[in-house]
Amino acid sequence: MSPGLIAYPFLFVAIFFESFILVTFLSKPARDARKRSPASGNYPKVAVIVPCYNEESTIGGTVESLLALDYPTGRLEVILVDDGSTDTTPATMDRYRAHPQVKVIRKENGGKHTALNAGIAQTDADLIGCLDADSFVEPDALKEIVPCFDRPEVAATTAAMTVHEPKNLLEHMQNAEYTFGVTLRHALAAVNGLYVTPGPFSFYRRAVVVALGGFREGHKTEDMEMALHIQRAGYEIDNAPRARVYTKAPRTVGKLVKQRTRWTTGFMRNVMHEYRDLVGNPSFGALGLIVLPIAVLAIASGLILFSLFLYTSIAQVILMISVRQGIPLGYAFLPSFPHFDWFYLPSSLYIFLGITALFASLIMIAMGKRLSRSPQSLPVGLLAYTLLYGFVAPLWLLRATADVAIGKQRRWK
Amino acid sequence: MSIVTRNSLIALGITVVLVGTVAYAISYLNQQRVAELSAIEDQLSIDTLSLDTQFSLLETAPCDTASSTDLTGELTDLGNRLAYAEGQLGSDNAEVIRLKEQYSLLEIRDYLITKQLAAACGTKPITVLYFYSNAGDCAECAKAGYALSYLRDTYPALRVYSFDYNLNLGALTTLIKVEKLKDALPAFIINGKHFYGFTSLADLEGDFPKGALATSTATTTRR
Repeated sequence: MSPGLIAYPFLFVAIFFESFILVTFLSKPARDARKRSPASGNYPKVAVIVPCYNEESTIGGTVESLLALDYPTGRLEVILVDDGSTDTTPATMDRYRAHPQVKVIRKENGGKHTALNAGIAQTDADLIGCLDADSFVEPDALKEIVPCFDRPEVAATTAAMTVHEPKNLLEHMQNAEYTFGVTLRHALAAVNGLYVTPGPFSFYRRAVVVALGGFREGHKTEDMEMALHIQRAGYEIDNAPRARVYTKAPRTVGKLVKQRTRWTTGFMRNVMHEYRDLVGNPSFGALGLIVLPIAVLAIASGLILFSLFLYTSIAQVILMISVRQGIPLGYAFLPSFPHFDWFYLPSSLYIFLGITALFASLIMIAMGKRLSRSPQSLPVGLLAYTLLYGFVAPLWLLRATADVAIGKQRRWK
Repeated sequence: MSIVTRNSLIALGITVVLVGTVAYAISYLNQQRVAELSAIEDQLSIDTLSLDTQFSLLETAPCDTASSTDLTGELTDLGNRLAYAEGQLGSDNAEVIRLKEQYSLLEIRDYLITKQLAAACGTKPITVLYFYSNAGDCAECAKAGYALSYLRDTYPALRVYSFDYNLNLGALTTLIKVEKLKDALPAFIINGKHFYGFTSLADLEGDFPKGALATSTATTTRR
């Protein structure tokens, strides 16, 4: 069987999913969500919990951005939870102890979910938010979030997350990917298809979280576990595409792979064990029939397409070297620049479908940028995404799949 | 109908249309390739026939006007394009086979004219008839083909004619019979002498008449 024949089904599904996102983006529920006005007049009591473990370099900025939120001060509290940090995080937190809106909690290290639960136990707010201690919010973000809870069936809402001041190519690549996520979350929220409420500035109805028993370890992805739990309980997860939050992204391939391995193994373990019943289940609509099955398939497809690419590339290089053996190097390996001739344009269905899928991704990144009005440079992000993503993503997919296969557990950091 | 079902059906329709459009565009591009190859072959047929006719008309003094040198260059370009089209469309594609048959005929015709001109004019062109197979039964053919391309590009006076040994073409079968070629590929007929197999460029160069490559016009230009 040719490599192309193996790739076609995956490429077809990828294009189908992107088409589904675009169609849903244009459908009435998403259009209505985009017309939603920021909160004005009705301000529920909100608590934002910041779980911290050794975040000395960013916690100050995170708290300052929360205190700068445009929201009535009497209706907003910030709960800083130190989860047994060993650096100067507690000292930085102590600077805010006297602030009337801030509560500081210190506890033994027990994991992010325990820090969140400790924060929830300290508040009677209607809505609770979570903000990772390496993230920063725009002043109007909370006012964009709150109206999502006007509908009683909504138990959680996600924000529009992008990368905080991306500098190197890897950060720009992640920013493009996150911006893609802005479009994706906005469209999927319109059909209640979200399966993760990310750490940076997701909000929950406190009563629902308490009724569900609070956050769980969730295979080190407590945000995914909570989202799946909410979905199974029959609630909805909404999205506020203009609630901008910026998060620090890993600056090196090693750190990125480590982070994404945790996310991917968390997803795989959750949907293979506790939430297996959701996958392919028509009772859960788009989430059960489209989003979760395609998310599982995406892991397989990432690995298979990359393996095919690697196999065909290596085979071509070996053939090229073998054929050129004994031929003077100046002829065989020096680059030549022949004049353009359309006749020699590559025209394989495999390549063209891949380009179609990539082009659709780039359109969605541009849509996410326009939707969220995030300030980062898009051209660099598009370039970095096109050049790097296909090579970097398989690294964590491979590692995560291997970890799940052999049951290996890794540390959070 | 729920919004999920409706959007899924629309998305499926869009996907089918997109994939269909891409497939059609590729098919169209390949048809254009075949059409271009056909056009080049038609032109070469006319040129070859013209040269042949010229040769017949000026049987007594053909050397002053008739020359097939230019046609060989065009044949090489056509061969490269044909090889690329074969890679894209597959060696069992009917159009590719038809074009290869026509190409092989043109090569044989050019080879014969070259021989006739050489005999009439006393020139000593260096000709290589190269027989290959891409049916998976010739491990060294890719290397041999590349080495010949190198020699042809380095020594433009060299006249290389490549033939797919498995092509079911009467003229080619006759050529193989006339030349008493064995069924061992890759095979080379260099100025009438038979050589089989390929080991290295140096060995292949050794099969050429002494000084043949050295006296040809060397060039570093790559195709």
